[in-house]
Amino acid sequence: MIRRTLAAIAIIAATLAALVDRPQTIDIASLATQIAAEEDHVTALELAAWLRDRKAGLRIIDLRGEKEFREYHLPRAERVAFASITTTRFAKHETLVLISDGGAHAAQAWVLLRAQGQPHVYFLRGGVAEWLDEVMHPATPTELTRYFGSTPRIDEGFESGDTWSAVAAMRRRGC
Amino acid sequence: MTAFAIGIAFGFALERAGLGDARKLAGQFYCTDFTVLKVLFTAIVTAMLGAFWLARFGVLDLASVYVPETFLAPQLAGGAIFGVGFLLAGLCPGTSCVAAASGRGDGAMVLLGMFAGVLLTGLGFRAIATFYESTARGAWTLPELLDVPRGTAIAMIVAIALGTFALVERRA
Repeated sequence: MIRRTLAAIAIIAATLAALVDRPQTIDIASLATQIAAEEDHVTALELAAWLRDRKAGLRIIDLRGEKEFREYHLPRAERVAFASITTTRFAKHETLVLISDGGAHAAQAWVLLRAQGQPHVYFLRGGVAEWLDEVMHPATPTELTRYFGSTPRIDEGFESGDTWSAVAAMRRRGC
Repeated sequence: MTAFAIGIAFGFALERAGLGDARKLAGQFYCTDFTVLKVLFTAIVTAMLGAFWLARFGVLDLASVYVPETFLAPQLAGGAIFGVGFLLAGLCPGTSCVAAASGRGDGAMVLLGMFAGVLLTGLGFRAIATFYESTARGAWTLPELLDVPRGTAIAMIVAIALGTFALVERRA
């Protein structure tokens, strides 16, 4: 009886293994269509609206380094190392917004996650810089940006070597 | 410490399965006792399914599991020598340790012979070094060899194992 039970368990486990371990195929045409229709990314203002409206299942994944993340990150953002993006577990119902410095790394991670079959993935097109420019320090603050404590942008440039905290602090000065 | 604990558990399982007995092991070669086949095939199926599902649930990272490299010709030659030694002694390295630990003299002698063989191989290694590293195939796995997904290879091996078990049980 025990032998038959163990054999049945082995058959079930092996059959399921064969069923779930299908080779991954990427539907390149579908990804290309999504990119062409600009359904692969969100703008900083769209993301701000999702955050304010507490969009269900929203997760903001920051792919930058730990130092950059500590210096400045978006509200509710969680850091995930780029190398770990494909091994990090995400639920299918979650809406993932990927963030990197500019947008290149986030766009690459978007392709990887979509290829893995994650259905609701977007990246912030202009990265953290866009968030700072459009939400935290816009030319003209709106009701939405004021929700995040925005201050009007002043014409003070920043150098490429400035840290995110320096950029954020500079933008926070306002007028 | 982990290796020590696993070694003790492995030895205990071998002893409990009766694999410390040379007659039982030699019976496999004469097709009179299939304990070795059943025990080792069961271990393979259990470990294989366990590793697959643990990895699937994110508990085990299969990429960090060491896969020994394949050197086809030297490993075939080594396997043949191992088989002859196994048949002559009635014990393999693991079971000889179990037999020696449970007080069997033949086990202790096989252990001595095994260490003598290791020593001789080490001393004469320069002469066989080229052959030792010939026909390298890298970390070769069954799914790669058969060009099938890992899950399919697992299902095939489980089917072969269960079919074999049914066959030898019918013979018994």
